[in-house]
Amino acid sequence: MGHGKYIAPPKGQYQVQAGETLILQFVVLPGESRDIDVSIDLCGPGAEAHIKGLYLCGADEKVNFRIVMHHKAPGCKSTQLVKGIAGGSAQVQFLGTIVVAPDAQQTEAYQENHNIVLTPEAKVHTQPQLEIYADDVKCSHGATVGQLSADELFYMRSRGIPEAEARTLQMLSFLSPVIPEGREEEMENVLRQL
Amino acid sequence: MLEIHNLHASVEGKEILKGVELAIGPGEVHAIMGPNGAGKSTLAAVLTGKPGYEVTEGTVLFKGQDLLAMAPEERAWAGLFLSFQYPVEIPGVTITAFMKAAVNARRKAAGEPEMKTGDFLKFMKQKMAFVQMKPEFAKREVNVGFSGGEKKRNEIFQMAMLEPDLSILDETDSGLDVDALKIVADGVNALRSPEKSAIIVTHYHKLLEYVQPDFVHVLKAGQIVRTGGRELIEAIESKGFDQF
Repeated sequence: MGHGKYIAPPKGQYQVQAGETLILQFVVLPGESRDIDVSIDLCGPGAEAHIKGLYLCGADEKVNFRIVMHHKAPGCKSTQLVKGIAGGSAQVQFLGTIVVAPDAQQTEAYQENHNIVLTPEAKVHTQPQLEIYADDVKCSHGATVGQLSADELFYMRSRGIPEAEARTLQMLSFLSPVIPEGREEEMENVLRQL
Repeated sequence: MLEIHNLHASVEGKEILKGVELAIGPGEVHAIMGPNGAGKSTLAAVLTGKPGYEVTEGTVLFKGQDLLAMAPEERAWAGLFLSFQYPVEIPGVTITAFMKAAVNARRKAAGEPEMKTGDFLKFMKQKMAFVQMKPEFAKREVNVGFSGGEKKRNEIFQMAMLEPDLSILDETDSGLDVDALKIVADGVNALRSPEKSAIIVTHYHKLLEYVQPDFVHVLKAGQIVRTGGRELIEAIESKGFDQF
């Protein structure tokens, strides 16, 4: 595997060898239930994996993430950033596991999962899990589930920005770190429908 | 311009405004002063349509229209502006994107075409210079990481951009040093015209040294208990609000 960039909802197993970098970027759009099941092994020294994910769902869709990042060799680095918005009565589950093997010293592993629910019926369950068996490790994870800020919304409306557009702006700004380059306009259109 | 009659409003079931009477004509600047908890910020919030405030009685006409029936954005389109006491941070949205959305929404509501990007940027540059805002702020996220003075300056900048007919300045002077206060005052004064009105809500006299109001009202326990001219400012300064 080379220094690739893959934009597709991934499924399956990836082995990243010494010195290689894997970049996975995926976008899950509303319309159907999805399972994103990824397992990445960082097998050789200096291997890197970077995941950026975005999801949008509504109606009664179910989106399930299961991401396993397995640091098997020393000096590897991984980052994960998954952000999304759930409307309708959608159900989202995020299970993110980072495993750092006993030999994988000087590991750097970061995982962030941030979610916004638009309705009381939408549910997000996020569960980060760290299994660390080495001692020289930099590792962190963060998970949040929140709502669009009412104060921001009122501030924008008080300046004349219509409610629907203000919400779209809020959602775009929340998602901006995970929107793939060149797809901003497409995302804006999807958000207007959400 | 604005006619408030017998306005009662509650927050979480507690009545804060208890029959406010106030009339503001075109070109007039009114100061509303009062102790903490008098209902000053509630009045500003009710006029701009902030969710969570319940009007239980009374009427408000803005340029002859029923203001209370309008959504917050419709009030802005009609020419109402609130300078927030605590301006809100909007991470991820630049001042340019924010103001472009605001200016164009109002133009759209008035049936005018959107402003061309080049024209808009030129217009914005002028207004930033006018409030002495550094050009790099155009790319900054709205109020994120701004100092207190920068946030208030940003409010006056937005006011200059939107050219409202009635501006409400809610404690715009609080937390400002003299230099920032002068910039705010210059901004407000420069926007004064025979058609444009303003309400300055404050519990200090500081801003009123620079922006001279035509009328001064004392709001206490949810009612306007005294109306007068500038002599009231002095009376408040020397004897406080207990005299009313």
